[in-house]
Amino acid sequence: MLNKTHRLLSLTTAAVVASTSVAFAEPSAELIEAAKAEGQLTVIALPHTWCGYGEVIAGFKEKYPEITINELNPDAGSADELEAVRANKDNKGPQAPDVLDVGLAFGPQAKEEGLLQPYKVSTWDEIPAEAKDAEGYWYGDYYGVLAFGINKDVVTGANPASWADLLKPDYANQVALAGDPRTANNAILSVYAAGLSTGADAAGAADAGLEFFKKLNDAGNFVPVDAEAAPIAQGTTPIAVNWDYNLLSQRDGMNGNPPLEIVVPSDGVVAGVYIQAISAYAPHPNAAKLWMEYLYSDEGQLGWLAGYCHPIRFNAMSDAGKIPQELLAKLPDAANYAKAIFPSIEEQNAAKQTITTKWDTVVGSDVQ
Amino acid sequence: MSSNSASAADASAGPEVSGPASQLRRRFRLGFEWLSVVPFVVFALMFLAAPTLSLVAQAFTDPAGNFTFDNFRGLGSDQIVRAYTISIQVSAASALFGALIGLLIALALIRGRMPQGVRATVMTFSGVASNFAGVPLAFAFIATLGRLGLVTILLREVFGFDLYRTGFTLFSFWGLTLTYLYFQIPLMVVIITPAVDGLKREWSEAAQTLGASKWDFWRYVGLPILWPSFLGTLSLLFANAFGAIATAWALTGSNLNIVTVLLYNQIRGDALQNPGLGAALAIGMVVITSIANIIYLVVAKRAERWMK
Amino acid sequence: MKQNRLWAWLIVALSAIYFFIPLLATFIFSLRMRRGELSFDAYASVFSDPRFFASFGYSLAIGAFTIILGILVVVPAVYYVRLRMPWLRPFMEFVTLLPLVIPALVLVYGYIRLYNSSSLIPFTGSVLGTDILLVCACMTLALPYMYRAVDTGMRTIDIATLTEAAQILGASQWTIISRIVFPNILVAVLSGAFLTLAIVIGEFTIASLLNRPAFGPYLVNIGTNRAYEPSALAIISLLVTWGAMGMIQLLTRFAPKTARKD
Repeated sequence: MLNKTHRLLSLTTAAVVASTSVAFAEPSAELIEAAKAEGQLTVIALPHTWCGYGEVIAGFKEKYPEITINELNPDAGSADELEAVRANKDNKGPQAPDVLDVGLAFGPQAKEEGLLQPYKVSTWDEIPAEAKDAEGYWYGDYYGVLAFGINKDVVTGANPASWADLLKPDYANQVALAGDPRTANNAILSVYAAGLSTGADAAGAADAGLEFFKKLNDAGNFVPVDAEAAPIAQGTTPIAVNWDYNLLSQRDGMNGNPPLEIVVPSDGVVAGVYIQAISAYAPHPNAAKLWMEYLYSDEGQLGWLAGYCHPIRFNAMSDAGKIPQELLAKLPDAANYAKAIFPSIEEQNAAKQTITTKWDTVVGSDVQ
Repeated sequence: MSSNSASAADASAGPEVSGPASQLRRRFRLGFEWLSVVPFVVFALMFLAAPTLSLVAQAFTDPAGNFTFDNFRGLGSDQIVRAYTISIQVSAASALFGALIGLLIALALIRGRMPQGVRATVMTFSGVASNFAGVPLAFAFIATLGRLGLVTILLREVFGFDLYRTGFTLFSFWGLTLTYLYFQIPLMVVIITPAVDGLKREWSEAAQTLGASKWDFWRYVGLPILWPSFLGTLSLLFANAFGAIATAWALTGSNLNIVTVLLYNQIRGDALQNPGLGAALAIGMVVITSIANIIYLVVAKRAERWMK
Repeated sequence: MKQNRLWAWLIVALSAIYFFIPLLATFIFSLRMRRGELSFDAYASVFSDPRFFASFGYSLAIGAFTIILGILVVVPAVYYVRLRMPWLRPFMEFVTLLPLVIPALVLVYGYIRLYNSSSLIPFTGSVLGTDILLVCACMTLALPYMYRAVDTGMRTIDIATLTEAAQILGASQWTIISRIVFPNILVAVLSGAFLTLAIVIGEFTIASLLNRPAFGPYLVNIGTNRAYEPSALAIISLLVTWGAMGMIQLLTRFAPKTARKD
């Protein structure tokens, strides 16, 4: 249900769809004042190359120069973020994160533990119901699908086209996850996706995925290194399983040296939603709320789109014609998203539970 | 000389001045002395003793706050035992080879009568290399032995030998040991060189005049003298490798199953989902390195006898 | 003799190869940023990154404070223990051995638990407090080396006689320490200082767990996200450490060489 402000905005933006200037719902003046009074916002786990966060943060700083942004630990995983909140419950210092950006499955867990405080942004209604907590404790921010990033300098032959292909001996010592399956959301969902590709149903996918990686490890194809940009380029992890938006931005960053090709697996396409939340113990709650308003404004959402992510308001915004054509053209193929599976919260929760606890015993990447 | 006897008395009192003024000054000086040691003691308490004790306390606490041995029992889990085993193995291997090779280099430098320039360069470089541990070292070895590393490519192009087809990786036992050696060997060189220096030339000459062969000299004089220092430094190298995390982390991220990475994950992300277990893990580490260092202490005491 | 020197040269040559090749490989890798040709692009990228200067500067500052704190804590203690309280010596030796026994990782775990903002001494409750904690933690790491440097320095100059002579001439305790003892051990202290600097600049574990923007975490962050810059940074790191060590070697030539009396 579009409220009056949005209907008005969409009318004006429809006429300027090709231009880069976009209007947005202004947060209330009191909020801005309160946020400026706090003067700081502590974020965590926001790498600048993830979903174009570098530009998004820069945009926020430009809008509100009185608020300094304290960036903690860009390489942290979702579990690391929750631990940071837990460890700093009574800490009002710079160690305590104000806002979180974690995987969907981590939202309900954090809410149950009492780590979050509710807040509904002004564009709340445009967020799909499945991707938010009804009471406003957490809310989806963007999504993408899992894909393989392939370093063509190392993988000179054919690319793997599916999860099943990864088990082939051609890819010995080459396949890696982009995080620790015990703490990072994308790694957990990669295992889940692998499980789905073997034909298991949603309930059995986690165990099937663990079995798959066990086979991968035993075959010698699995490399126990986080497949970030550096290991990919250095040839340590020539086949990286990561979100398509990350791989695309890494490809841009590498600039052909080495050439990176991105392949969405033909069997088992899993889309993952990430969520935003405000810490219950946030030292700067108003700055946090202002940040949320910014992220869910058109400006914020388009910032993520520029980073190859699909912002959560994508459907609503494209219906209203707010998405510039050139950004749409750079996005990955829409066909991938058509057959993507969006695991529900319950499925993700169950998968997370299984995978984080059983990874070491089933797969266990030991020093050989 | 009167100054000598005065200095002997000085050791406990102060210069020989009589009268109430001297007593006041004595008491003041005593206060000043204690004041100078207090920062050291306070520092040791706050930053060495207290944190360790606090961890010991947490290791014996379960999530509800009650006293328990469960955390230490939890150390017996498969994954943790494997982590400790691998850590101990890599530390022992890198310490042993590091010590042997370091000793050889020190011997070559001193007994082999290297020119002063070579010796100075080696010593400086050893100081640098022993601090090179951590992130830059990991990068260096990736650039050398990584998939696209210089040596890997060299072996493939020039010798037709594909290193990676044999299943070699840098995160295997030998890969890690090889990487750790880069800072273990220099550390050994730095520490053992003074000891080798202490092997006076006169001794080997005396042995020669008495008819001993080179081998006899080493067997009956040289090695027994060096042995305590060698063993002691071996323990030090072991503790050094055991506690290393930066190198391993920079090499592989969080995935390697060694104790330090496990503990780091636990601190950062509660990967074990049990803070008490993390504390127990930490205390376990301290116990192991303590054993290594107690050996070092005991043996170093004996080595001192020879250095007089 | 010739045979002696032959195997000596062989050993040194072989080790030189083992140590030199990774450095060469790193250097060459750092030149490969532009595809197909060698260039200093990676270095240009590093030097144009404001975070490089920010984190390096931050670590240098932490290093400076660590050195100052180290001098203030160690020098008076060593002096008085040597002079008046030799029975405290085993205790000091034990304390300075502890950082070699207790891994830095364990120590920082303890600090986080003990000094968070809900405890009596809330170090991590503020930026300044966390920085202070970092300085103290780095000092703990450098303690064994600082202690050994100062101790060796004092052993060489026979402080007992110096102190006595100064007292006879009427100097106060403070004058003795600051104007007589300290200048004589300056070289030793500086050696310890450079070693401390090298340790602090490369430190990763503590800085990353305390979330401070030091050089170590910066290196790891670059190492995960950029392909060629890490090698350039490794070379830069090496040059900086070499500079520090070289200074130590240079300084030891200027050390006072009084005859040992004990």
